[in-house]
Parts: sequence; structure tokens; C-alpha cells
Amino acid sequence: MLTVVKNQVRVCLLSVKYNIMREMLNKVTFLSNILFMVLNNATFLIQWTILLSLREDVGGYTMREILILWGLAASSHGLSHVLFARVFSLPELVINGKLDAYLVQPKSVLLGVMTSSTSASAIGDVVYGFLLLCLSGCGFGGFCLFLLFTVTGAVVIIAFALLLGSLSFWFVRADVLQNNLVNGMISFATYPDGIFEGPVRFLLYRVIPVGMAIYQPVHVIAAFEPHALLEVVGYAALLMTVAVFVFYRGLRRYSSSSLMAARM
Amino acid sequence: MKKYAIIYKAVLMENLQYALQITMGFCSYFIMIFVMVHLWRYMYQSPGSLIAGYTKEQMIWYVIATETIWFGARSATVSRQAAADIRSGNIAYMVNKPYHYPLYILAKYTGEWSIQLPLYVAFAALVGTGMVGGLHRMHPVGLLAVALAVMLGVTINGVFKLCISLLSFWVEDSVPFQWLYDKLILVVGTIFPMEIFPAALQPVLKLTPVYTVCYGPAKLLVDFGADTFGEILLAQSVYLAAGGVLLCFLYRKGVKKLYVNGG
Repeated sequence: MLTVVKNQVRVCLLSVKYNIMREMLNKVTFLSNILFMVLNNATFLIQWTILLSLREDVGGYTMREILILWGLAASSHGLSHVLFARVFSLPELVINGKLDAYLVQPKSVLLGVMTSSTSASAIGDVVYGFLLLCLSGCGFGGFCLFLLFTVTGAVVIIAFALLLGSLSFWFVRADVLQNNLVNGMISFATYPDGIFEGPVRFLLYRVIPVGMAIYQPVHVIAAFEPHALLEVVGYAALLMTVAVFVFYRGLRRYSSSSLMAARM
Repeated sequence: MKKYAIIYKAVLMENLQYALQITMGFCSYFIMIFVMVHLWRYMYQSPGSLIAGYTKEQMIWYVIATETIWFGARSATVSRQAAADIRSGNIAYMVNKPYHYPLYILAKYTGEWSIQLPLYVAFAALVGTGMVGGLHRMHPVGLLAVALAVMLGVTINGVFKLCISLLSFWVEDSVPFQWLYDKLILVVGTIFPMEIFPAALQPVLKLTPVYTVCYGPAKLLVDFGADTFGEILLAQSVYLAAGGVLLCFLYRKGVKKLYVNGG
């Protein structure tokens, strides 16, 4: 059992490595994509400097919390796109019957699909996230928590995208739903939860899981609470389990389009 | 110009078929407006207070207007398609066609936003009225002036995005430059008006495309004035002319490079 897991992890890491190497074929483009993504994200510092000049805090967040919020949102989003970018285009594979190539592989279908592409610019998101963490002045404990929550945040984002993407096994236009809700999650993730009230907060913590991916981790980094930390880890594991279950249930309904294609 | 009118009409008819699909994008738009409404409700501590001379209602309507322009003018034609044509070498076949390539792309872009933007405007009016309440009464002539400013702003946006795409003649991937341009428009012009920036920065910001693409039309909607309209229209005309010259210059330079490389 352990050998199977070890081999699977090795295959996944190799797949990610080769994806990144493929992106690096043109080194100038690869590096400029990363650099420009960092610059692109950094423009939002202007927005928050202006907003925080109008009020001391926004939704209970000072500049330090804003930096952690943005850092965590960027690094989680970035990590999910570096490792498992294909999840975000899963509906296209399902609708066009392009899963055949993955079904005949001797390893896990889901991991094969998920690790089959990467986004070079997402490396810039991860770099930006850690740069903001340095600016926020978090200590070693904060750094360790940030690292952990980057992983749990990425797991929640991937699980949410997988869950919605897997709906394409049942509905043709699930790609629009996935696209809108995942983008919506990212939009919410870059604004403090303190500006939302009542049922909206419930929605953000339970329906669109941005609360568990980003907001609660920011609160834990700001003021450590073991109970809240365990809740985040448990939620990420549970959501991923549900997403994997839905994907394999949906896979039973998959029908090939007998498409002949070469995977480069 | 007749051939561009035909291209425009063809794209318009094609996009009419996908009107329902366009409305599916309302979800992302609604989420963005929802976040912005909550943000500005929080920022305005007391109901009657002013920020940079704007009431809460004016500020939210300003954001709704800019976001509507942003979403309504989104187009892959001026950004990704033009860049992909150049990268793939497809442009070598298009330069021989009996049209000017940048004008062909702009005609297609206009056909796209002619359907997309009115749909977003209708949805914005519904959402805005539901969440903030109606905007002050405007004279129909004022509304026509706003519509003209929006159309010019969207066209200027398309011209500049196409200029960035033409950089693909020199760099392999022009998309990162699109990100920076988009963020300039989004951060400086969409989320809040220019008056919120320090006074020393405002004249500089007025020289950027933000003033003509987002700020101008939205400012006219929330605080219309004939003088402001004249000022914005002049800036838009200058920007459109300068953008057109830059577009032609980049295209001519780029096509020469294409011939050197053999297409």
C-alpha cells in the first residue's frame, strides 16, 4: 500500500516537473510571466493604501492583516494552479470526451488529469504571497502557519473546482458555473470578511468555501487558536473527500468521443 | 468603410445567438458588485458623509458604472485573438486580405461589445436600483452624453488593448502586458474615482487611459455637468487620435518585421 502511494506521488511530482520544464522552454517568457504576475498583484497595494487612508481599519483588518489576506489568497491560488491547473478546465475534458488518454493509464485517473498541466504565471502568485508575508512582519510561527494554510487553502480551492467541474458529467453548462463560482471565490478572498454581515458570512464560510480557505486561516495567523486550525484542516480534508467521491461517481457516466489526439 | 460595417454586422448577428451565454457571465459581475457595495457601505460610517466629494450612493453608482464598462467591454478578440494570430503566424495570411487588419479586429470587437455592453447595462440598472436605490434624475440629453462617452471610452480601451497585442511582433507573449494595463484600469479607475488620490497625483492620472476609459463616463453618470462633458469629450478625442496613430505605427513596424522573418 505504502509503495503504491509512494509511486503515485512520484508520478505526480514527475508530471508537475515536466509541465514546468515545458513552460521553461522559452526562459524569457517564463520569467517575464512570473515577474509580471508579481507586479500585477502588487498594484492592489495601491488600492489598500488608499482605502486604509480613509479609515483606520477595513472590516477589522489593518494593513498587516490585509497583507496576510492577500498573501494567503495569492499563494493558495498560485499553488493550486502550479500543481493542479487542469482541474480548472476539467469540464472541457469531460464535455469534449477527452478523458480517454487518462483512463488507460495504470495510475490514478484523477491525479493524472489534475497534474497534466501547469500555469507558469501562478508561480508569480506564490512568490508574491510569500513576499507579502515577509512585509507583514510575521514571526517564525506565523511563517509555519502561513505555509500550512497555503496548502489547506490550495486543497480547498482545488476541491471546490473539482466538485463543480465534476458536475459536467451530469450538466453540459457546468463549466460556466465552475468558472463563475471559482472566480467569485477569488474575488471574495481579497476583501476582509468583516465587511460582510449575517447570512452572507454563513454563505462565505459554508457555501462558497472562501471562509475556510482564507478568512479563518488569517484569523488564526493573527491570533492563534488550535481549535480553529483543526477546523480548517478537517474542512479541507472533508471537502476534498467529497469532491473525489463526486468525480468518480460522475466518471461512471463518462462517454468517450473517440477523439484521436496526441498529448505533447 | 462598407466592408468594416459588414464585418461588424456579421459579428453582431453571431453574438446575438449567444446572448444567453453572455448573461451567464452576470454571476461574476454580480459577485464583484456585491463585494463593492458592502465595501463602500462599510467605508461610509454615517449616511450623510462624503468621501472625496461623493455621497455613498454616488460612490456605489460610480463603481457600478465602471464595473459595467469593464465587464461589458471584455473581449478576447483585441487581446488574445490578435496576439494568437501574430504568434501562430496566421497574420501572414490576414495581411493579404482586402482589409486593414487592426480595423478588421476593431470592427469585430465593436460587434461584440454592441451586444454585451447593453446587456450588462440593463443588468447593472436592475442590480444598482435594487441594492442602492435609483440615481438622481438625469435629463435625456445627459444620458445621451453619457452613452457617447461610454462608447468612446470602450473604443479607446479596444485600441490600446490591440496596441498591446501588437507587441507580440516583438515579444513572444504579450499577455503579461495586458495584465498590467488591465490592473491600471481596474485599480486606478474602477474601484474608486480619481478625486480620492492625493491632489498632486490627479493631474498625472488624468493623462492615463483611465481618465478616458473609466473615470470620465462614470463621473458623468453620477455628477453630470456640461463643462465636465466637454472636458472628457476633448480628452477622449485626443486619446482616440493618439491611440489610432500609435496603432498604425506599431502595425506598420510589426508587419515589416514579419516580412523580414518570412511570415
